Amino acid sequence: MTENKANENWEPKIVAFVCNWCTYAGADLAGISRIQYPPNVRLIRLPCSGRVNPFYVVKALQEGADGVLVSGCHPGECHYLTGNLSARRKFAILKRFLSYIGIEADRTMFTWVSASEGEKFANVIKGVTERVKALGPATKMIKTL
Amino acid sequence: MENIEKQVREEARKLLSEKKVDALVGYEQGTLPYQAAPCIITEPEEADRLVWNPFCSVNLAKYVHDLIFQHRQSQTRTKPEDRTKKVVGIVARGCTTRSIVIHLQERQYERDEVVIIGVPCTGYIAKRKLFRALDGAEPLSCVVEGDTLKVESAAGSKSIPIKEILSDSCLTCRYNNPVISDINVGEPAPPMNPDGEYDDVDAFENLPTDERWAYFTKEMDKCIRCYACRNTCPSCYCKVCFVEQSQPRWVGVSVDESDTQVFQIMRIFHQAGRCVDCGSCVEVCPMGVDLRKFLKKLDKDGFDLFEHRAGESLEDPPPLGAFSTYDKEDFIFEP
Repeated sequence: MTENKANENWEPKIVAFVCNWCTYAGADLAGISRIQYPPNVRLIRLPCSGRVNPFYVVKALQEGADGVLVSGCHPGECHYLTGNLSARRKFAILKRFLSYIGIEADRTMFTWVSASEGEKFANVIKGVTERVKALGPATKMIKTL
Repeated sequence: MENIEKQVREEARKLLSEKKVDALVGYEQGTLPYQAAPCIITEPEEADRLVWNPFCSVNLAKYVHDLIFQHRQSQTRTKPEDRTKKVVGIVARGCTTRSIVIHLQERQYERDEVVIIGVPCTGYIAKRKLFRALDGAEPLSCVVEGDTLKVESAAGSKSIPIKEILSDSCLTCRYNNPVISDINVGEPAPPMNPDGEYDDVDAFENLPTDERWAYFTKEMDKCIRCYACRNTCPSCYCKVCFVEQSQPRWVGVSVDESDTQVFQIMRIFHQAGRCVDCGSCVEVCPMGVDLRKFLKKLDKDGFDLFEHRAGESLEDPPPLGAFSTYDKEDFIFEP
């Protein structure tokens, strides 16, 4: 890893797993409303936040992501009724577990953004990018071979 | 102890001769004096092979699952109306019955396919602790006398209080009596010390992030990925485990440290709300990886967040298989 915090041009790479029905639409709204947000985030569209296998998060970190964001519909507004409620349980445990073994808590973020919250989506991306920037490049659990 | 062993044999013989079970899973004397090996018996005469002593360590629930699944596999080409059920008997202590509860909750087999001989448990001896107590000398014979273990080794004879060499899981066990059973044997065992259950986890949580990561990597560096932990774990029963899947290939097979870490993280995470803390994985690990510290954290969070203890009762669904509108969501990021 040649990247380090001292490198002023370092920009974090953030992988965001977003649900098709709310957050992705929210990102769309942010786009058509011309709201500016940092370009560090790579969106991956999934049918539902319940579709996010916890392994995706771990795998993204292993492949070198500096931060991972998972975002879905607000509880109670899931297109599939309860997908985000079971996701919430998974991620509550996953986030605690990853920070327990020593991966900084701010590298894995979970949030809800609805389709009408373009502004909030931009703020979430700003917030996450700032936090990951403060942590510096990821060095733990990165595959080098 | 001997009394329990006698009763276990008696009950096993009865079950097999009355044809109430097709096979019975229990422990027999292992090839080494400090070992009890799992065994499967099918004839009443074999009941005398069964033993019950503090060396009976691994969780037997896995064998029930394997036997029933093998049987079902062998019947895939039988007409549905001709298919038979295989009933498996098991000698089960507290943690084993909890694993059976998890299997039943996860619909792996029906309640009438398993006959449980519930045995009260006073803990099993951790082989690593025994060897440490003997300074690495190989025990040649071990005799249990009440609360002490008399060991003859190359370095001479020694008496060790059993309490000192019990597995960590047993010392803080909350369920040392079976949670479900068909036949009960012996008197209920006295409680252990469940209040200190999460002491290790609490202490670890208070360390700085980098120290925790250093400990995690140090432990995972020992792992040789023999998958013994997975093979012995009663909650690891997937037909195709994620480590062997090639489409997608979840975990790389390289010598890269991160592959081992990811394997362990995911295997441990799969035990969320399902780990009964039987300590089998720790017991079979040839490298002595401290898996319990990480598994126990999931157990703690499962109780903390969802007030769930793995395998406590048949009515309480596994936490990740259920949800509630009122689940805590303090971890959600709000900008």
